[in-house]
Order: sequence, then C-alpha cells, then structure tokens
Amino acid sequence: MKKRDVITQYNLPTEVRFCKLCTVSNQRPRITFDENGVCSACNFANYKRTKINWEERERELVELCNRFRKGNGEYDVIVPCSGGKDGSFVAHQLKFKYGMNPLAVTWAPLKATEIGRRNLDAFIQSGFDNVLGTPNGQITRKLTRLSTQHLGDPFQPFIYGQTNYPMHMAVKHNVQLIMYGENGEVEYGGDMKNAFRPTREIKDHDKHYFSGLPPEFWVEHGVSQADLKPFMAPSYESIMENKTEIHFLGYYKFWDPQENFYYCREHTGFQPNTERSEGTYSKYASLDDRIDGYHYYLGYIKFGIGRTTSDAAHEIRDGKITREEGQALVRRYDGEFPQRYYQEFLDYCGITDEEFQAVVDSWRSDHLWRKTSEGWELKHAVWNDNGESQG
Amino acid sequence: MKKIRLIPRLDIKGPKLIKGIHLEGLRVMGDPQEFARRYYEQGADELLYVDVVASLYGRNSLHDIIERAARDVFVPLTVTGGIRSVEDVRKILRAGADKIGINTAATKRPELIREVARKFGSQCMVLSIEAKRIGDGRWEAYTDNGREKTGLDVVEWAQRGVELGAGEILLTSVDREGTREGFDTELLSAVSSVVPVPVIASGGMGRPEDAEKAVRQGSADAVAMADILHYGRSTVGEIRAAAKAAGLNLRTV
Repeated sequence: MKKRDVITQYNLPTEVRFCKLCTVSNQRPRITFDENGVCSACNFANYKRTKINWEERERELVELCNRFRKGNGEYDVIVPCSGGKDGSFVAHQLKFKYGMNPLAVTWAPLKATEIGRRNLDAFIQSGFDNVLGTPNGQITRKLTRLSTQHLGDPFQPFIYGQTNYPMHMAVKHNVQLIMYGENGEVEYGGDMKNAFRPTREIKDHDKHYFSGLPPEFWVEHGVSQADLKPFMAPSYESIMENKTEIHFLGYYKFWDPQENFYYCREHTGFQPNTERSEGTYSKYASLDDRIDGYHYYLGYIKFGIGRTTSDAAHEIRDGKITREEGQALVRRYDGEFPQRYYQEFLDYCGITDEEFQAVVDSWRSDHLWRKTSEGWELKHAVWNDNGESQG
Repeated sequence: MKKIRLIPRLDIKGPKLIKGIHLEGLRVMGDPQEFARRYYEQGADELLYVDVVASLYGRNSLHDIIERAARDVFVPLTVTGGIRSVEDVRKILRAGADKIGINTAATKRPELIREVARKFGSQCMVLSIEAKRIGDGRWEAYTDNGREKTGLDVVEWAQRGVELGAGEILLTSVDREGTREGFDTELLSAVSSVVPVPVIASGGMGRPEDAEKAVRQGSADAVAMADILHYGRSTVGEIRAAAKAAGLNLRTV
C-alpha cells in the first residue's frame, strides 16, 4: 500500500515537540504552541480558570435560553447526545435547571456496545425525548471500510452523521438552537478563533470534522448520492432559513468531564464501563462504539498521539493528575492495540488483518516512527520528555 | 458474638484523599491527615489507607502519609496499594502501618501472600479483592483499582488466599463502590461463608443502617466506609450508635 504523506496532509511540523505542561505534542492537527512551549489547550485551560467570569457567562446562558425558549410545547433546543456523561449533562441541565424543552438527538454508533446502549436507555428513562438516527447498515459498513482504507480512520461515516444529523433534526423540528457540550477545537487544542465566542461556524465543518472530505467525496468510490444522503448536511439554505445557531455549553459553564460523570451518575442513570477502555486508563469516556478503539489507534499511528495522550492531557489541564503521572499513563497504555473487538471490526469492514496492518503501516510517517528488531517504535515519546524541546 | 469494627477507608492519590464512583472519576477531597484525625476522634476502630493509583503508576507513595498518620492516630492502620514484595511490606510497616493489604501483586504471584504471612504473620496479611459481579452469584476479581480483569473467581480466590496465609479479606464491590446503594450482601455472604478469617465489607455504604445489613445478611466482621463520612453525611459516632441500637456488638468508645 502506498505510503501516505501525513506531514502534508495534516500540515504537521516535522520537528516533534511536547507541550511543557501536558502530554500532547505539536503533531495534533491545528494545535499551536506559544513561545514558552505551552500548547493552546493548556493556555485555554488556564484562561478558563483565571480570566472568565463564570457568573457573567451563566447570565449569558440564561439570556440565550430566554431568546430561544418557545413555551408552546415545541422543542426549543436540540442536544446531540449519545447517552454518555457529557451530552446527558448538557440535556439534563438545560431541561431541569434552565427550563428548556430539549430534543436529544443521537446518531447511531457504527457498532454499539452494550454499556453504551444501556446508558442511552437510562438517559431516556431519566426524562427525555430522543430520536435515534440509524443509517443503512450496508452503506455504513461500506463507508467504514472505505474511510479506513482511504482516510485511515474508520470513524468518518459516524462523524458525518454525528455532525450533520442534529442539523437535520433542527430544520425538521423548527428548532433554532443546537447545544453541544465542549468545543473540542478549543478544549483539546485547535483553532483558537473559537475560544472567545459561544458558537460554531457551520462552514468550518468540512475542515474540522471531515478532514477536508465531505460525504459527497465517496461518490468517486461507488457510493450513490442517495446512499450518502443520510450522512450529508441539510442544504445550506435550509440551515440559514431556519436561523440555526450552534452553541457550546462549555462557553457558558465551566466544563469538567469528571464532574459531568458525577452529575450523570446521580441524575441520568449513567454507568461507567466495567473495565478500562483499551488504549487508555479511563472507564467512563467514549464507551458507545466497538469501533472507536481503531479510530484512536490510527490517530496514534498518524500523529503519535493515542487515546491516553489526549485523556491524560485533558486531566492534567483539569488538575486531576500531574504531568509525571500523565507521562507514566501514556507509557503504559497509549500504544496498546485494541484487541477486544478486532475480529468483529475486521468482519464489519470486510477486510483482513493483513489489509488493516497495511493501512496502519502506510500511515507511519518517518518523522515519528522507526523500525527496530522489536518492531515499530516512536522516535519521540513524552515519557522521555523533560519539558525541553527535542529534535 | 464477634465484635464488629468500623473502619473509615481513605483512598489516596498522590498527596490527596480522593473519592470515586465505581472506583472511577477520582474526585479530590482534601488532605488525608485532616480526615484521618477527624475519624480517629469520632471513634474509628481502625483506618484503611488505599493508594488507588499505585499499581497504575507503578509506584508506592503512602510512606509519608502513613508516617504522619501514625503520629496522631492511635488505632490500627491498614495500608494497601502498590505493595509488591516482602521488602515493600517491611517499609510500610516501618512507616507505622499495622497491617498491609495486597491485591494486584498477589493475583500475579499468589506465593507473595505466603511469604508475607510467614515473615510478618497472617494477622498482618490482608488480601484485598475488588469484586465485580459477572453473573448470578458469580464475581470476578479485578485489579488496578477496578480497571483490569483477572479471570479469577472471587470466592475461589478468597479461599486460595486464606490457604496461602491471608489473615483477613478486604472485599470491595466495584459495582457498589461510591454509589451509596448499600453493600453487596450476597457477595459478602458468598465469601464469608467459605473463609474462616474476618471479612471487611467495602463499597456502597450510604446510610448507617447499611452496616447492620453487611453484618447480619453478609456476615461481615468489619465495615469500611468512605463516601458517607467524607461528604459529611454521617459520622463514625452516629454509625456506631445506629449499629448498637440495632443490636450489633461493637467496641465501647
């Protein structure tokens, strides 16, 4: 399989540097580092703790709710929600604290886990209307295979729906407000233009969420327009005509995923998994899909940034663990291959182990990986990093 | 009638007392020394310290905390988390612990239980088991603070541990831990009915009455409690009074 040019495709710096405060490196697409070697996400975490007047922000939230509140029995806000701790927190707060009438919208996982389904059911039982969008299984499988082969990410079809389906529901139900939880671009390091405003620009979607490849791309690979329709956004005109606005609760309220877990354990029947997820140490995040281990694993291959690196970085920023602890966690779990659902994943995609490994190796960039007698190893590892830059 | 012990459980991460739910999402509560002193003053029979991230980070960092505790707190201290060798046991005993608990390292090398029991006595060797329900009347032992499966059946593992020399069993229900839903009395009774050593019930204490259930329905010999005390929902004294009123035999403070 042809070697990929990861550097050009994702506009990556060729010299690997790790943030001095957390575990993330400059290989995360769109992240920026300041002159002190601190990443934009850490700077934002500091800003959010020290500069933002959260009382003022909550007043803005109340005003926002008042602006969109209908009071006539119709839904007045769409909350994209899988039943996990974050979306459930958003929906529950909006409904029970701010008196909104939310419609929770779920885009079906590629291959749901039992715990994910149980949590979604518990969430619905805790007092919510929910619509579940489930696309054609054959087409989803085909798109999963294609996006694994061509993008090195099995999650792309899921991300299309996750991003676009709430907009469909907004248009269909005449709801103008869509409320997400955190703005990943800001919280995890990305385009900081979003740090200082509550909304998301719909025109950024293709760039930030679709790796520059919208659903229409797959026509070239033999998927029909009709089959792609459920994955596509509603027409730009209909979004504008509906006056749709996308907001992030993380702009209005201090965002702490661990506290969301406590909240949802108490209010929406949320249960963490019985064991940790492969590739990381946590039991309560991203539990819904049997395929997601392969999404994170390929991220590890492409950028040297696995699921533990991201989880630990976020917990360091939140003051839950130290950088040293984060380094130990990354060393222990980051490169762990997601074995548990591997055969299911291959069967689902209809590819062989050899084909998948060829995809994996095609994404190993020389600036990140070297082959040794033991196998592949990262040239730069955060657990060797003392906060100084390295070549 | 056996004397029931009330044991505040202090889960420690780094220098802080923490509290999770199902051993996950570890919330920082404060300085463990302040909590330890408070519970001692309230009349705790023993204290239990658990370094919840010792296995995760491959370290053991309770020495300083135990040394400080041993200066102000004059009840037996049990310390568990990250103990991997006879040498680790010696160090933690020297710091002031009276008993040590082993979980992860024992599942990997059960012989360690025998070595510790021979060297320091069975009364010092507590087998810590994190139990996760996997079916009707069946539980699996977990390690690494409820993160990793071992494939070991909890009841069989408890029996094996006692044969090797464990003098006590700390039995934590991962399903109930931090939930305030009460102890898993079925689990307690499954284990306590097959082992001749004391069993400490842990995980789920939400109300003072839960202690009585652990003893009467689960045949527990001691009750560990965390959430109910850390969040100030009750005190050791109130729990003792409730247990006494229910007819349990407790130490008189």
